[in-house]
Amino acid sequence: MNKKPKIGIFGLTSCAGDQLAILNCEDELITIADAFDILDWEMAKTNNDKVTELDIAFVEGVVAQTRDLEALQAIRKRSKLLVAIGTCAVWGGVAAMKNQIPREILKKEVYGEEINVVDAVEALPVRSFVKTDILLPGCPIEKEQFLQIAASLLHGDLPELLNFSVCSECKMRENPCLVVEKGEVCCGALTVSGCNARCPSHNIPCGGCHGPIEEVHYDANYTMFEQRGITKEEIQNKMANFATPAWMGQKLISEIK
Amino acid sequence: MTPQHTLLDYSSKARVENVMIPHIARLVRVIPMVQDNYLFLFRFEDPHLNETFIYKPGQFVELTVIGTGEAPISISSTPTRKGVLEMCVRRMGRVTNALYNLPENSFVGLRGPYGNGYPVDDMKGHDVLIIAGGLGMAPLRSLLNYILDNRNQFGRLILMYGTKTPDDVLFRDELESLTRRGDLECLLAVEQAYQYPGAHPWRGKIGLVTDLFQYVKNINVPNTIAAICGPPIFYKFVLEKLLKMNFSKDHILMSLERRMECGVGKCGHCAIGYKYTCIDGPIFTYWDVINMPELIEF
Amino acid sequence: MKILKLPKANFNKFLLGLNNYGEVHIPKKKSEETYVFAPMEDPSEVALEYLRTVIPPKKYFFKPKEALFKHSDGKNFIEHIEDVNKKLILFGLHPCDIHGLKILDIVFGTGYIDKYYFARRKNTLIIGLSCMPDEKCFCRSMGTDATEDGFDLFLSELKNSYLVTVGSSQGDDITNDMKDLLTEITRKDTNEYLKIRNERKKRFTLQLDISDLPYILELQRESEVWEDLGKKCLCCGSCSMVCPTCSCFNIYDKLSLDTKQTERVRQWDSCLFKDYAVVAGGHNFRANRADRVRNRYYHKQHGFVTQFGKPSCTGCGRCIQYCPTQIHVVEVFNKVRGED
Repeated sequence: MNKKPKIGIFGLTSCAGDQLAILNCEDELITIADAFDILDWEMAKTNNDKVTELDIAFVEGVVAQTRDLEALQAIRKRSKLLVAIGTCAVWGGVAAMKNQIPREILKKEVYGEEINVVDAVEALPVRSFVKTDILLPGCPIEKEQFLQIAASLLHGDLPELLNFSVCSECKMRENPCLVVEKGEVCCGALTVSGCNARCPSHNIPCGGCHGPIEEVHYDANYTMFEQRGITKEEIQNKMANFATPAWMGQKLISEIK
Repeated sequence: MTPQHTLLDYSSKARVENVMIPHIARLVRVIPMVQDNYLFLFRFEDPHLNETFIYKPGQFVELTVIGTGEAPISISSTPTRKGVLEMCVRRMGRVTNALYNLPENSFVGLRGPYGNGYPVDDMKGHDVLIIAGGLGMAPLRSLLNYILDNRNQFGRLILMYGTKTPDDVLFRDELESLTRRGDLECLLAVEQAYQYPGAHPWRGKIGLVTDLFQYVKNINVPNTIAAICGPPIFYKFVLEKLLKMNFSKDHILMSLERRMECGVGKCGHCAIGYKYTCIDGPIFTYWDVINMPELIEF
Repeated sequence: MKILKLPKANFNKFLLGLNNYGEVHIPKKKSEETYVFAPMEDPSEVALEYLRTVIPPKKYFFKPKEALFKHSDGKNFIEHIEDVNKKLILFGLHPCDIHGLKILDIVFGTGYIDKYYFARRKNTLIIGLSCMPDEKCFCRSMGTDATEDGFDLFLSELKNSYLVTVGSSQGDDITNDMKDLLTEITRKDTNEYLKIRNERKKRFTLQLDISDLPYILELQRESEVWEDLGKKCLCCGSCSMVCPTCSCFNIYDKLSLDTKQTERVRQWDSCLFKDYAVVAGGHNFRANRADRVRNRYYHKQHGFVTQFGKPSCTGCGRCIQYCPTQIHVVEVFNKVRGED
């Protein structure tokens, strides 16, 4: 590369965990700062440039307030490539968990009748509003995958992430299958790999934090759990944690109350 | 009772040349042909390899763009003209896109040649009918030039090539100059010969590639081998025509595309039934094709 | 063929003695139903009761994820073979897994030779171990319930001892080194072996008739069995990962952040994954789940048979045990045969 790509790293409504994951690349931060011209990153630096056109924008978080949408559209407008980082930006994440309940009702339940200062809209991922060039899910994102994407972009290529299930990585690590052996609600077969089966390797069922694989077999997954005596509600509650907009799009969790 | 495998057997297999390691080559020239279909010329850095890299028309290589990845690319040059490997590459995926961005003189990796290639030895003494549609000319150009360079070993040679417009004709200058040669019948057709100011005038026919059959008389079908390559719709009509003319199914050679990732029959991606496109193909007879339900979708 | 006897009292000494020849890997218990091959730290860890590990021994020769070569100076591709000089002793392979390796020997050794596989195969000693089948074992139907070769030593369990069959010159060296632990076999041992063998034969409950199967599959290509299976299969790839003969892989390049160093990586793949047959430009030759599932079954019992004269299935039962939706390979083929 003859010219350093100009980049910005942004957060919409989120926990900032994905930006933190980037900051946690301690050994590589200097290389990152050296290879990219970081113009705008409020979380990490002062004197941010808010106007110059960007080669790449990394966007974390979900559109959950009207001001998120304004910010997102402004980012899109000034960036050649937009990378959605983290499950919130890619799938909606936890902020979208109760999307099937109107915001008005939720506001009243949480803040009561009196307070009306919250500017909440239905939480939706970045790609519901603007063209998104690259999707890097994860809650938070995996450091290795982020670095791989950064390297590809520096090299001038669109990055390529494998669309395998968590089950495949889980099997490679020879973990006891939490569905087969323990009858637990493990989202491994629904969920895209990349974490190296982090949770099942610690005996914790996959919560689906990377979001669904490209072609999830919903019905077969339901049948699989139901055969093990797990109710539809339990399954839906579990699936709803990270990718509710996707499941609602499939009309799979409209029944939740 | 003799064991099937002995330590000696394993040792010898552990000592072989590593087929997964590419050879370093240099991208010596890029020649734009048509939109997103350029001709790339490569030379091995090891001068010896330029002489010893023996391939057959219809074979392919695995091309590495360093830092990006690897993709199967068919060879468009002929082994009869040594020194430079020519590949007509369509800008399609990550690797080919990166190749288009490479400056001349960059290093790349090449391994191969892979695949069966056209059975040129068995084709000798026969008449050859080459039919190409669109980008299908890329692997067939190798066969065409191979036959031209060994002209006396083959019978009658007919080329029919059809594209949508004159701007889509691969190797246009080269093929147009062949129309003046007396030792082959070179017929080119475009569906629309629209002109714009400054465009090179179209001197070929207007119509579909199958319309070109009217210009060739007295094909000796039993002694002719047809080599065809093109998009699915092309196959549908060309095959219909050839079968009507009573071409035997194993006298029709097709070049197929699959995901040939390792090139050496191991990774599994290009398997169709028990055939591997990278080992048993990419050249198949039409008989092979119809006997493998997964093989092609028309 | 040289056959000796190892009294059980000497077994731990035997295992410890193997340390002299390389890194000893043994079956270990990981959870209630989960066993894995892993390095031996103490002979007491050996799970002699195990029937199948999650991943078969293929992982030692064809690694789940490995670098093939490295590149850093613009000019040379540097071959990289992980564990190329590591001496490995794999203890406790059942006959089905030894047959699994024999099938992979064919896959990686026919036509172009996979140097990575054989570089590690060459440095590994295989010590087999007899077993008693459970309800998921159908090796007997696949002809893989016993093996005459493919091992350096093979241990057949009797009540108080093991028969030790010597299968290679290296195995012979080991028995010579450990001759103090071994004794001659007697007529009584042979009789005991035969008794156990007949008992084992009776224990097989699962059977798959593979006579004529490629032809039946040819006839049944459009059978509704495949559609039904497509509805049940999650395409999670578990069966491919645990299969002793599945050997598909993906190749990609891993670039360092400074973009100066590249590693070519291969990683296990599964023909059940959606992108498996996608070509540049996006066309997917097996876009339907049912097509992908059918392809997997056809490869095992049709394609491989046509190519190499035997199925690429060892009847080990792993795909039955680990399928989260309880797809049962034998039931599938019985349905295809019209025998359910």
